[in-house]
Amino acid sequence: MMRNDPIKHVFIWPAVLVVLAISIFPLIYSLTTSFLSYRLIPPIPPRVVWLGNYATLLQEPRFWSALFTTTLIAFIAVGLQYAIGFGVALALNARVPGERLFRVALLLPMLLAPVAVALVARMIFNPTMGPLNQFLAKFGLANLPFLTNGHWALACIIAVEVWQWTPFIILMMLAGLQTLPEDVYEAAELENASAWQQFWGITFPMMLPISAAVVFIRLIESYKIMDTVFVMTGGGPGVDTETLTLFAYQEGFKKFNLGYTSALSFLFLIAITIIGVTYLALLRPHLEKRR
Amino acid sequence: MSGQSLTGLSPWSRRLVAVGVLAWCLITVFPLYWVVVTAFKTPPGVVGGPTYLPFIDFTPTLQPFIDLYQGIRGEFFHTFLNSTIVGLSAAAIATAIGAMAAYALVRFEFKVRLGAGLVFFLLALGGYLLFNATLGLTRPQALLLAFPIALIAAVVANRLPLSGPILGNEDILFWFVSQRMFPPIVTAFALYLLYSEIGRLGFQLIDSFVGLTLCYVAFSLPIVVWLMRDFFEAIPIEVEEAAMVDNVPSWRIFIGIVVPMSMNGLLATFMITLAFVWNEFLFALFLTNSRWQTLPILVAGQNSQRGDEWWAISAAALVAIVPMMIMAGLLSRMMRSGLLLGAIK
Repeated sequence: MMRNDPIKHVFIWPAVLVVLAISIFPLIYSLTTSFLSYRLIPPIPPRVVWLGNYATLLQEPRFWSALFTTTLIAFIAVGLQYAIGFGVALALNARVPGERLFRVALLLPMLLAPVAVALVARMIFNPTMGPLNQFLAKFGLANLPFLTNGHWALACIIAVEVWQWTPFIILMMLAGLQTLPEDVYEAAELENASAWQQFWGITFPMMLPISAAVVFIRLIESYKIMDTVFVMTGGGPGVDTETLTLFAYQEGFKKFNLGYTSALSFLFLIAITIIGVTYLALLRPHLEKRR
Repeated sequence: MSGQSLTGLSPWSRRLVAVGVLAWCLITVFPLYWVVVTAFKTPPGVVGGPTYLPFIDFTPTLQPFIDLYQGIRGEFFHTFLNSTIVGLSAAAIATAIGAMAAYALVRFEFKVRLGAGLVFFLLALGGYLLFNATLGLTRPQALLLAFPIALIAAVVANRLPLSGPILGNEDILFWFVSQRMFPPIVTAFALYLLYSEIGRLGFQLIDSFVGLTLCYVAFSLPIVVWLMRDFFEAIPIEVEEAAMVDNVPSWRIFIGIVVPMSMNGLLATFMITLAFVWNEFLFALFLTNSRWQTLPILVAGQNSQRGDEWWAISAAALVAIVPMMIMAGLLSRMMRSGLLLGAIK
């Protein structure tokens, strides 16, 4: 039942005002800046270049490389997170021994500061003094260039992302698994369906809507990745691990190229929107079929 | 709560599953153990290669923490206070006004004309360009002037019988939540420019408590509104209806009945917001430089300042991590009963 009472405005306006002021406001500001050629160092008075910044950016290989790196990190990391997270959630839901103990430990990483996690990762991935090196040395793989080789560095960043955010998937999937009706499984049991068949025939399809939502959230969040990369590699070696946010930070905060950075952040926004809309469009038929 | 037992599986695959979960658990816990242990090491304990067991591999010391407290590696104590103050106040304000908005969206009916939204956007943009170009105002002055004009015009336009689609509560909720989709760099950078130009007008926002808290409140609101809406929807309406029969005003229903009934939800939301603000890096990087610097910035800085002084780095990381570990313990108690379940549907 919906009430109608003038006091509703008192309830909703503070939040609306703050969000309008702090997010729409700067959006307009940077949208207009993105059409200017505007630098602070060296100081050049702003000049209208319309889509000039966007055109330069689209021809800039560094932009495409950053977009590619970010996409790679996001998709691989989220894919792994989903696979591991769903697996662990299934096991926990099936009352694996020691399940209570696991729950607290498994949730921890997602609440920790990414910068601190990245610092710890740097120590663990240290090629001479780190524990991982010691472990791999036993298999004859000593002194791997974890953070100094482009491919390895990317893999390490993905590993840290998976470590930190798989708990989120576990949490959400576990909550979802607990809502599944039991009688369907009992029926399947009577039909002598194997555990494998039960998973693909019942669990997976019924979990699809939750899976879609969780993966969507993680994907969008992963595209914003910055702190982990900033601390672990600083975008290096070269620009091999530079993500979009880091690229924008370098341009904006190191070079104070304001118009260019604003255009970059808008291209970023457009890219995220395209990915989000495509994702939802691809999944919609599957989701509706199940309902 | 259902949970199929593993009975359908053969004993061997059951063991395999248990081993798999145990392996993941070890992977999760090892880095945490490592950082705790390293923070108590002396320089020789680090440089000589990895050591794992205190009192056996190396002699633990409190020196790294004493160094931290004395401020040898940056103003840790001060920064810790900053993080705490900004985190607590941003989380409290966001939870309060976000809960109010969520309650309004659950219990009251809102109608916003799409036309009014367009009026707001066009007037804000047009007014800003106009004031900036013709009146010779600076950019923030023009924005600050255009904003209220656009807002008032939009409110008036909403009363007029304009044609066009009407947006309801679901759309307003979607608008709130969609703020979370924006890459924060878009706002962080613009906010930095805006803050610094407002600073030139004589009101300092960069590196200030107000500026940073305001920004965090705005960026926590989407989550708060989203989570709290589900908690409020779960409250049986009959209680509120009974109060309404007795002519209790809405604000007293909210404070006296709804808030106490959803205390768990409010607390969980508060803690999630606190964790988000505590760990946030990008906005703090742009909007602070010394006085109101937060922990993540200082912790990130340790890296370049001190090459391989791992004992110091670990101690610094621990300071940033431990409060959230304690909170995770508290939060996991509330997580039973599928607390977050509603949020994902």
